[in-house]
Amino acid sequence: MRSDAIPLAPVPLTADEAETMLQRQIKKHHVAIILLHWFNAATWILEVATGAALISSRLFRVAPDWYLAIVNGLFGTRGNLLRFHVALGLVWIGVFLVYGIFGFRTYLRGEVLKKEIALDRDDVRWLVVRALRILGRSDEALPLQGVYNAGQKLFSMVVYAMLPVVMVTGVIMAFRLFSPWVVGWAVVLHFGAVGAVVAGLVIHVYMGAVFPEEKPAFFSMFTGSVNELFAYNHHFKWWREMKTEQLAWDRQREPAAEIARPETPAGGEGDAQEPST
Amino acid sequence: MTRRRFLGTAATLGAGAVAVPAVASPTVHPPGWSGTARVEKIATTCEMCFWRCGVLASVEGGKVVRVEGNPDHPQNQGRLCARGNAGTGLLHDPDRLKTPLLRVGERGEGRFKPVSWDEALDFLAGRLVKLRDEHGPESVAFFPHGNGARFFATLMRAYGTPNSAEPSFAQCRGPREVGYSLTFGQGLGSPEPVDLEEARLVVLIGSHLGENVFTSQITAFATGLARGAKLIAVDPRFSLAASKADWWLPIRPGTDIALLLAWMNVLIAEDLCDKEYLKTYASGFDRLANHVREFTPEWAEAITEIPAAKIRETARAMGKAKPAVAVHPGRHVTWYGDDTQRARAMAILTALLGSWGRKGGIFLPTPIPRGSFDLPDFPEPKRGRADGAGKRFPLAIEELGVTNGLIDATLSGDPYPIKAWIVYGQNMLESIPQPARTVEAIGKLDLMVVVDVLPVEQIKYADLVLPEATYLERYDPPTIVESAKRPFIAVRSPACEPLYESKPGWWIAKELAKRLKLEAFFPWDTPEQHLEKILKPTGFGARELLNRGAVAFPGKPYLEDRAPVDRTFDTASGKIELYSEALAKIGADPLPRYTPPVEPPKGFFRLIYGRAPVHSFARSQNNEALDALMSENEVWLATSVARDWGVTEGQRIVLENVEGVKSSPVRVKVTEGIRSDCAYLVHGFGQQSRALRRAFGRGASDNSLMSRVSVDPLTGGTGMRVNFVRAARA
Amino acid sequence: MARYAMVTDLRKCVACQACTVACSAEWAVPAGHARTHVRTTPLAGSFPNLTSSPVVGQCNQCDHPPCVEPCPSGATYQDAGGIVRVDTDVCIGCGFCVDACPYEARFINPRTKKVDKCDFCRPRIERGEVPACVATCTAHAKYFGDLEDRNSEVSRLVFRDGARRMETRTVAVGPNVFYLGRPEHLDLVLSSYPPRPPRLLTAGAAWTRLLKPLVLAMVGMTFAGQAVAFFTQLHKGEGDFEE
Repeated sequence: MRSDAIPLAPVPLTADEAETMLQRQIKKHHVAIILLHWFNAATWILEVATGAALISSRLFRVAPDWYLAIVNGLFGTRGNLLRFHVALGLVWIGVFLVYGIFGFRTYLRGEVLKKEIALDRDDVRWLVVRALRILGRSDEALPLQGVYNAGQKLFSMVVYAMLPVVMVTGVIMAFRLFSPWVVGWAVVLHFGAVGAVVAGLVIHVYMGAVFPEEKPAFFSMFTGSVNELFAYNHHFKWWREMKTEQLAWDRQREPAAEIARPETPAGGEGDAQEPST
Repeated sequence: MTRRRFLGTAATLGAGAVAVPAVASPTVHPPGWSGTARVEKIATTCEMCFWRCGVLASVEGGKVVRVEGNPDHPQNQGRLCARGNAGTGLLHDPDRLKTPLLRVGERGEGRFKPVSWDEALDFLAGRLVKLRDEHGPESVAFFPHGNGARFFATLMRAYGTPNSAEPSFAQCRGPREVGYSLTFGQGLGSPEPVDLEEARLVVLIGSHLGENVFTSQITAFATGLARGAKLIAVDPRFSLAASKADWWLPIRPGTDIALLLAWMNVLIAEDLCDKEYLKTYASGFDRLANHVREFTPEWAEAITEIPAAKIRETARAMGKAKPAVAVHPGRHVTWYGDDTQRARAMAILTALLGSWGRKGGIFLPTPIPRGSFDLPDFPEPKRGRADGAGKRFPLAIEELGVTNGLIDATLSGDPYPIKAWIVYGQNMLESIPQPARTVEAIGKLDLMVVVDVLPVEQIKYADLVLPEATYLERYDPPTIVESAKRPFIAVRSPACEPLYESKPGWWIAKELAKRLKLEAFFPWDTPEQHLEKILKPTGFGARELLNRGAVAFPGKPYLEDRAPVDRTFDTASGKIELYSEALAKIGADPLPRYTPPVEPPKGFFRLIYGRAPVHSFARSQNNEALDALMSENEVWLATSVARDWGVTEGQRIVLENVEGVKSSPVRVKVTEGIRSDCAYLVHGFGQQSRALRRAFGRGASDNSLMSRVSVDPLTGGTGMRVNFVRAARA
Repeated sequence: MARYAMVTDLRKCVACQACTVACSAEWAVPAGHARTHVRTTPLAGSFPNLTSSPVVGQCNQCDHPPCVEPCPSGATYQDAGGIVRVDTDVCIGCGFCVDACPYEARFINPRTKKVDKCDFCRPRIERGEVPACVATCTAHAKYFGDLEDRNSEVSRLVFRDGARRMETRTVAVGPNVFYLGRPEHLDLVLSSYPPRPPRLLTAGAAWTRLLKPLVLAMVGMTFAGQAVAFFTQLHKGEGDFEE
């Protein structure tokens, strides 16, 4: 295809075209991101599970008695429970620090800030339409989306705002830093920040694991790739971006053959976002 | 250090030590500090004050981690005061003296170089030999305090000087011992044998029990009160004891003798005395009755400002409760210079109530046998004592001496020059009034030596400083307490190795004796040999005492426990001398007489002082735990006085005495609980040694404001409540 | 089951602070803090008719301890002997319980940065010893024992001699530290140092009144939203979404 042949908006595809695109995989996630995602998911499950059991006061607790009894029983003593929660939390923070420091340019700036968080006008519109469609109040077509849709971005925003809060308050409590007053507020903020993330997680998990439309996205968290058809249908702007870049690349290296499948770069510093030939 | 190691260490210090098998000390799992380590508990004797309670020092890995009361000790029975419980704070005080120090700068500059013990002791021995050759041994004066000083006392006697004086006499209880001895033929000693627990009425004259804490005394006091004893507290200040009293008599300071005479007047006039007792044991009753006839409560009211009705009421309460009336003789009694006579008045009151040797009154000591070493004869000093004991102060007890008499002699060179001081275990600039004179006297010396645990202020005037081990690190000669209902012998033995380069007093004295060729006066190689010998006649062995900390003997505390033939008094007449022939003989008042105290100049207030339960003298202010409870003193001012001075609660002011001496800044406590003619400070604060990092400059030093003393002509005791202060004008 | 109690006889107590220092030495409490504190009331009356009393304060091991509920992590609890204890393994040092205590008996230990308080020397009791403060009390003014045991000294002092609790009409949480003394002294102590109504720190209040409902509402709403979406989908049929 030539660049002028890349449509500005999705056009109906022939069955063959659709079939070809369905078979063709596009790289979406770097393996490092996949690993981080699942490590993060596991950590959150364990930390929320133990954290909920740690709040035992009737004034503050969110979990029922039987749940506390089970978790306490599992750990033997509440001291062990707290130690586990703190230790895992510290490991989790450590992993994020490593990612944040060594992957600052690619992950934090390139990925998180530019792609996962920044909302454009289409994104805002998408949120409205999406909500209305879910509720069955609209048939309007969804605005075109980039590599992450606006719903995912919204969740990311919540997560990235709350992560530092959870980490900092957690460390304050773990080491009882500053004054009791600070520790007291840290507990409260820790709880609130986790609460906000968990509220978002409910949607995230549902969308990822249950919502049929997003199944390829779910599997991409294992394989790293989505089929081109899914990208074309759900993340058209991304698909178009990739096509454009690819054509530019091809032109530079005349005579280009056909579009190659994206490959996993050899080095650890690979750029998952940039299509390769 | 384990007991075994202590014995081992001691054994290596001298040849041919008797091998003493290790003893099994009670071992428990420790309470607060670690989970599994074994703690050994060493029984020893406290020295956070001088009451000599039994303690158990918990030792973990060679380190003393806790000091608690020894439940098997006959005196304190497991109880221990705040200071005793804070004992490890002294042991681990980072400001401790760590090595012998030799002066390098000018005297008073406080610049020293650390030296080895050999160097220090050679230096000292050399100087002592030189002084003996050039000025005679009498030119060396010794200022001891406490049990540990006894080895030095032996050394000083062997060296040939008679000049030894403890502040516990002339700055503390000397006049009391003399006053009671004149009356009953014996003094009271320490601990005071006051039968507080059996008393039906307790009379405290200036004694502020509760603020002044000695563990077993507090136990007895509180027990007595709980059993329903009534309490009379005579004090210009609303003391803790006053808060428990049935009668608080806020007396005008310095007029106690008038009150005592009026009480006698009522007791005799209303026939409330123990007549049978007096008939059996006392002499001079008629002379006393004649003497006190004119001293009516109305007469006393005008002097003491205590209503006559109250005086009558309290006297009648005594008459009713007799003989179980504990008239506490007090401990620090050097107040106005008439102190021997005041002690006499208290003794006479005690006698009138029939309380001496009776349940609930004053009980009697029971002698305990003790062994002694067959020492060579001590050299007879060519010149007599320089402190005036037995001469200028005819009734001063020579064994204890008059500290201020020695300072006078040092200053004046009369009767002969004093060239050297050796100060052991006392802080002269805080314990002896007129500190400026003390410093001036030090200026006249060729040699000033201080043996101490902490770098107290006088250190800076020393030529040589010897760091002593604390009580938890050393052996001291056994304590033999006969003035207890169950008399006992107790021992102080090390719970751990001395920290830093510090050494126990016995070792220092013995090493010095070697260098002075006076070893013959120390005919033992190890502390256990010393202990064994002293214990010999008791039937107890050194090992048993070291194991238990103390052994008790049956006592005969009351006259009724003794055969009538033994119920005698060691006076000239063999009776209780209400009228003192001994005093008459030396031209003193044979019956106590009230003399008005010196009055303050206008605008000044009498400085009175006392103790706080968490501090001992000026010795404990650097202790972390005690400092946390009381880090400075306050000056108590009556509400009206504070108003006049224009000062408010919590404000820091500087006190100034009549001579213009100023204190360090001290907080004001405004209270209704003090008379409006005096100001009160807790003693021991305002210390000026920078090396005591916690104690330095906290609060005001009462002693620094004592520019005046009123010397008791009988004993040389320095009356100290004759100083007057006001707020210094800024 | 035991119900441990302490009785302090204020007629005997001389405010000597032996208990304070013994306790701190026993439990290695850093200087400047203490599990037990001795005070003397301000003077009542005017010269020369004055009254004051010493008083020893410590954790009252209340029957209804107001400090338990505000402890988020459950570190503070009441044990089988009625003793209010702190599981230091679980304490995070937030200080909520410190403010909840009506008797100012709790503090944050600056060394451990966790809450510290009297527990009647639980480990000593288990060894068959009395608490360190009782063992050292120079005035023999402190008594310790089990109120369930009708023959114990404390039972006698409480049930026969009428030892009093420091309670007011507004703050009655069932303290198990009792006092004997002259009535006027006990009244003075209570009026000088009345138990303070339990307080919840602002942070705790924000948590229980604001954040907890908010978080529950958020999670609840998203959950409900997803549920609606799920059923809508089921209704529509999955086929719609297949390519």
